[in-house]
Amino acid sequence: MRRTLLGLAGTVALLLGLATPSLAFEPVNVVHTEKVQAGPYDLTVGFSTWPVKAMQSLDFTFAPEDGIAGKKGTLTMLHSGVAQDDGPLARHPRKREVWGLDIHAMPEPGTWTLRFDVEGPAGAGTGELKNLQVMEQPGPPMGLSWAISTIPLFGLIALIVIAWRRTRTTVE
Amino acid sequence: MDITAVASPARTVPRGLVPASVVLGGTLLSLIGLTWDIQWHSDVGPDTFFTMPHLFLYAGSAISGLASLAVVLMTTADTKRAKEVDPIVGGRAVGVFGRTFAAPVGYLISGVGAALFLVYGLWDQWWHGLYGFDAVIDSPPHIGLLLSISITMVGAVMIFAVARDQRWGTYGVAASAATLLAFSMVTVLGLRALPGGPVNTVNAGSAFFSVMILFMGAYVLKQRGGALTVAVVVAALQALFWWFSPWATEVYADATGLPLRDYADGIPGLPNMIPMSLVLVAIAVELLHKLPAWVSGAVGGVIITACAPLQRMLTYGSPFPNTERYIATVVAGAVLGALAGMLGRRFGHMLRHLVPAKENRHA
Repeated sequence: MRRTLLGLAGTVALLLGLATPSLAFEPVNVVHTEKVQAGPYDLTVGFSTWPVKAMQSLDFTFAPEDGIAGKKGTLTMLHSGVAQDDGPLARHPRKREVWGLDIHAMPEPGTWTLRFDVEGPAGAGTGELKNLQVMEQPGPPMGLSWAISTIPLFGLIALIVIAWRRTRTTVE
Repeated sequence: MDITAVASPARTVPRGLVPASVVLGGTLLSLIGLTWDIQWHSDVGPDTFFTMPHLFLYAGSAISGLASLAVVLMTTADTKRAKEVDPIVGGRAVGVFGRTFAAPVGYLISGVGAALFLVYGLWDQWWHGLYGFDAVIDSPPHIGLLLSISITMVGAVMIFAVARDQRWGTYGVAASAATLLAFSMVTVLGLRALPGGPVNTVNAGSAFFSVMILFMGAYVLKQRGGALTVAVVVAALQALFWWFSPWATEVYADATGLPLRDYADGIPGLPNMIPMSLVLVAIAVELLHKLPAWVSGAVGGVIITACAPLQRMLTYGSPFPNTERYIATVVAGAVLGALAGMLGRRFGHMLRHLVPAKENRHA
C-alpha cells in the first residue's frame, strides 16, 4: 500500500516538474490582411492562415491603426447575411496589443461577413468585411469522422447486449 | 457467510480495494483534468499538448490503465500457476486472445478504455494537424477520447459492483457512478451534431444519461437511499469543482504569467453542465420506488429538462428558450427518462450478477 502511494506521489511530482518548462505558446503569425473602415477608424483584419476553410481553426487579429487604447466595440459574424455569433471585441490572448479571436474556426463554408461596431475618442463607427469566402472543410467527410469516433460507444453497446443476454435471472 | 472471510486474517486492507481505488483515482484525475481544461479554454486560452489540465487527463487514463494491466497480468500469472483466483478482485476472469490472458471482467473493461484513449489520442493528434489546435470540446476525436475515458469509468463501476456486499464496494459504486455521471454531462455535448428539430438534444441527452446512471447506481446497491447517495456525491463533486475550476485556472495562469481573457466570466463550465436538479430527481426516485422504473424515470427526465434552462438563467443570465423548444425538450426528456429508468434498472441488475456466488447459494 505504502509503495503504491509512493509510486503515485512520484508520478504526480514528475508530471508537475515536467509541465512548467514545456509550456511554449505559438506566436500569432499573420499571413494575410484585409482593411475595414469602421466610421473614423481604420481596422486591419489579420488571418493566421489563408484561405480560410470551414472548421479549420486560426488566429484572427483586429487592429485599429492608432491602437486599441480608449476604444471598445462588438464583433458580429454573419453567414449569408444572417447573424450567427456576436461578442465584445477582446484582446487576443497571445497578442495583447490588438483585439482578436484565438484558434477560432468558422463553422460553415460559404460567404461570411464580419461586422465591427467600434466606439472610441473619435465617436462611434460601423464597418464590415464583406464576402469573406470560407472554403469547404478539409479532411474526410464528417459522417466518417463521427463513425470512427463513436466506435467505443458501439463497443459498449455490444458489451451491454452480451451482458443482457447472459443475465436474464434476477440476483437478490 | 460473510464474504470478507475470503480475505486472509493477517490482511488489514480488504482484498481488491487497492487496485480498485487506483482505477477510481485515475478516473477522478481525468474528471479534474477535464473541468480544469474546459475552464482554461474559456477563461485564459493559450494551449499546448503539455498544459497541466492535459497532463491530468493523460495521467488519469495512464494510472487507471496501468492498474488494470497489473491486475490482468497478476490474474493471468495466477491462472497459469493453477492458483485460485479470487473473483472479488474485479469479477470473474475471462480469457482474452484465446487463453493467453485471464482478465477479471471489470479490469478488462477499464483497461480497454485506457487503451482506446491512446488510440484516440493519435486520431486527435492527426485531427489537430489538419484542423489546427482548435479548442472545440465536441470535435469527433474529442468525443472519441471522452467515450474512451467513459469506458474506463464503466469498468470502475463494475469493479466496485463486484464488492457491493462490502462497505468499500458500496461507497465505491456511489463514487464511481457519480464520476461517470458528472463526466457524461460533457460527452453529451457531442449530441449537438445531431439534428434535433425543436428539441435541445444536449439537455435531452443530459436527462437520459443522468437518469440512467442514477437508476443503475440505485439498483446495483438495491437499498433505500441508493439513488440519493449517488446524487449527493455528484452534488459534492459539482460544489467542489465550482470552487476548484476557476481557482485552479487563475492560479495556473498566474504561475505561467498569462493574463485572463478580457470579458472572462469565471462561471464554472463543467460544473454548470451538471443538472442542479439531480438531488430532486433522486428524491423523486426514492419516493416513487414502488412504481415501475419507467414512471419515475419519466418524472426524472421531466425534472431535468424543465429545470435546465432555469439553471442557465440563474448562472449565465441566459434568456428563457421559446415555448415550443422548451415543451418539445421536456416531452423528449419524459420519453428518454422513461427509457433511461428501465435501462438503468436493468443495468443495475446486470451489475449484481458480477458478485461472486456465495458458497451457500446454489446459483
